[in-house]
Amino acid sequence: MSPAAAPPRDSVDRSAAALLVVEQIKRSFGGVTAVNRVSFTVNRGEMFGLIGPNGAGKTTLFNIVTGLTAPEAGRLHYRGEDITGLSPHRVAERGIARTFQNVRLFGELTALDNVMIARHVRTRSGLFAGVLGLGPARREERATREHAAALLALVGLADRSDERARNFAYGDQRRLEIARALALEPDLLLLDEPAAGMNTGEKRALSELIRSVRARLHLTILLIEHHVPLVMDLCDRIAVLNFGELIALGVPAQVQAHPAVVEAYLGDSV
Amino acid sequence: MNGTLLLQQVLNGLAIGSVYGIFALGYTLIFSVLRIINFTHGAIFTLGAYAAYALTGSQFGINGLLAGAALPLRLPFVLALLGGSLIAAVCGVIVERLAFRPLRLLGADPLLTLVSSLGVAVALVNITQYLFGAEPYSYPDPLDRLPSAVNFGTAANPILVRTVQVVIFCVSMVMLALLTYLMNATRTGKALRAVAEDTTTSSLLGIDTDRLILLTFVISGFLGGVTGTLIGLSVGVAGPYFGIAFGLKGLAVIVLGGLGDIPGAVVGGLIIGLAEAFVPAQYIAYREAVPFALLFIVLLVRPQGLLGRAQAQKV
Amino acid sequence: MATFFDTYGFLLVSMVLAAVLALTLYLPLMAGQLSVASPAFYALGGYIAAILSTKVFHPAPGLYPVSLVLLEMAVAAVVSGVLGVAVGLPALRLRGIFLALATIAFVQILGVVALNLDVTGGAIGIFGIPQPFSDQLHYMWLAGPLLLLSMLFVGRLERTRTGRALVALREDELAAAAMGVNPTYHKVLAFTASAVLAGAVGALSAHFINTWNSRQGTFDTSVNLMAFVLIGGSRTFVGPVLGGLVLTALPEALRGIADIGGMPVWLAGFLREGRLIIFGLLIAIGTVFFPHGLITPALLRRLGRRGRTSLR
Repeated sequence: MSPAAAPPRDSVDRSAAALLVVEQIKRSFGGVTAVNRVSFTVNRGEMFGLIGPNGAGKTTLFNIVTGLTAPEAGRLHYRGEDITGLSPHRVAERGIARTFQNVRLFGELTALDNVMIARHVRTRSGLFAGVLGLGPARREERATREHAAALLALVGLADRSDERARNFAYGDQRRLEIARALALEPDLLLLDEPAAGMNTGEKRALSELIRSVRARLHLTILLIEHHVPLVMDLCDRIAVLNFGELIALGVPAQVQAHPAVVEAYLGDSV
Repeated sequence: MNGTLLLQQVLNGLAIGSVYGIFALGYTLIFSVLRIINFTHGAIFTLGAYAAYALTGSQFGINGLLAGAALPLRLPFVLALLGGSLIAAVCGVIVERLAFRPLRLLGADPLLTLVSSLGVAVALVNITQYLFGAEPYSYPDPLDRLPSAVNFGTAANPILVRTVQVVIFCVSMVMLALLTYLMNATRTGKALRAVAEDTTTSSLLGIDTDRLILLTFVISGFLGGVTGTLIGLSVGVAGPYFGIAFGLKGLAVIVLGGLGDIPGAVVGGLIIGLAEAFVPAQYIAYREAVPFALLFIVLLVRPQGLLGRAQAQKV
Repeated sequence: MATFFDTYGFLLVSMVLAAVLALTLYLPLMAGQLSVASPAFYALGGYIAAILSTKVFHPAPGLYPVSLVLLEMAVAAVVSGVLGVAVGLPALRLRGIFLALATIAFVQILGVVALNLDVTGGAIGIFGIPQPFSDQLHYMWLAGPLLLLSMLFVGRLERTRTGRALVALREDELAAAAMGVNPTYHKVLAFTASAVLAGAVGALSAHFINTWNSRQGTFDTSVNLMAFVLIGGSRTFVGPVLGGLVLTALPEALRGIADIGGMPVWLAGFLREGRLIIFGLLIAIGTVFFPHGLITPALLRRLGRRGRTSLR
């Protein structure tokens, strides 16, 4: 009896459960290949981790998925639609939100304003309706404010909604950035090293926050993170990049034991 | 088209273009080292022209605060040119110290420095006008013993270029050669390019960035003064505002050639000179719009200019 | 009192018009765009009014109907708006210095064109533009509401969805786009709004100044506007308005001081003629010491708070 063939490791899955399909994405910068024919699928409701040494191409991949960088080759599919090459705001419109590796808040604005701005694609008041203060516009403005306040409360920053974002401590800035991303009402949330620069206590709190947010809002989360225990703990599946190539993909236990991964990255940091 | 006419227009274009080229050299040099657009270059160029005029012992006219004033000395033109350019260089350094250095130390956006340079330029030009009036002046002619024009054609089909324009063209080529040599073949040039790459690292490596930046402004100011005086010789000094007009046109030249690219400054200048020379007669009134139309188009199509490198945006 | 308004009627209206023009620089700046294109639309608006009133409309003798002035302002606004979109769409893909340079180029090109067309009167321009009022101060009936409406518009804008989008673009264009804000749409919107307003001001100014030529709406105007916004304040709509009002009145005030007498000739002359010198120096000083201008949101908040506590 012949054994059943093992499913290919990086199969491209276009079934309904697949939310994001990354297909053979390639991107170089001035002769250096940052992402080299990477393919994987993120399923609806998953917590999907993306790890790898510095310079492995993780943030570049995020930038490609969110439209900040165009891929040289390959395609991206989101909810069955080909979103390759869409500009960032169109990607956001479709329900993909992100945080940045180096926090990119609107520093001069208050925390509340930061989150309110991200309500842009979920609201519709135009220039004149807003300025004239027409009924629907005013109602929408109130709703925006309330929604933003609720999100701030969700991440534990409700009492600081009128402070300038630049005055927040690093850890709080990261939480604010998450609140802002959530204002988009995304289906897919991309978190780029959300725990960077945090101490153990903060990391634990963040872990809890991510879990609770995912459960409450039925999110699918794609997470880049350096802190391996956090990733192993949180994620359903993990992809490992090294020098732009996908070297492993699977559940945490599989990835942990994978020889190529151990050699390239995990080593003694587990 | 008539070959003679064509060649004449080409030479006219090169003559005008080389003037723009020397002007742009100082302009682009500062961009290449500091990544800022120094609009005061036009004002410094004006100051140089006026200083040279004063050094020839000539008298200032009836308008302006210093009406009728004249220096008690009377230098020959070349010395006045050098003296005026040195004064221009000093003025450039003063502007650097007072206006640009504080902004640099504050890490200000290059846009803010551009705005500041616009303010300083307008202030300087108007101070000059306040002191010396806006009348035209002309230098005592040093070339009056030479024939007034050089004939590149034949006696039957003359292709004439004014002697002063030939002189300017030669000066521009010499300046380009010297500057290129400085930037590429000397230690100072290497240090300048290091500062251009990264000021902080350069100073950590022991390079005296402050002194090098000063040197840049000295060279740039000197070039500005030389250009101003030579143009004054060629077409007369037509009021301080011609510094602003040149400053504006110079923007087109340096963007076309490539911001910060030294040969690009001259290439850009020659191209714009040629473009202006080839404007058909019925549109001659629109000639002044040509550099700006080119500037607008280049910005949309290829903002790094002809010789510049495309700048990638870091995410 | 009457003589004050007689003597200063022209100045007061000029101050108000300058304040509106300052807002035209402020609008693109809200989105982080330094565009000095408004002088071009100002010039265009003026020419439209001048041409319409001297060559197209043939009203009865006597005062020119105010309704026609308003019509001209509307036409100028629409034409400027269309041109604003046409120029803005390609130009606003540029950032920072490159955009500033493109708008400088645009102003220069329009200036040369205006200088050479027959319909614009060439170098002489158009003169004898009909007057809707017998007294220059009466222009305030049009200029005042124009300023108030613009202030209302821009002030309200800051608190709406669109205004937030503009400010987000100013703070961090990349992050704003990632949060769903369409950069091109909003930048062109701000630019076009600015063009529309500048065109309307130009049309009114043509009547106010009575003549119009290529010396209106030039590079010098750009420098003035930059002074208004840089000194007045670039982070709140109150800044440019105050900057425009005060800096337009300043040369008059200095001239008044110069006339006091007992002053050395050079100082008196400087006070009288040194407007551009002073503006230029103020710009240079401003970029170093108060890059966001004198009127900042922080200042307004503090003033607001002090006002409230004093009521207790």
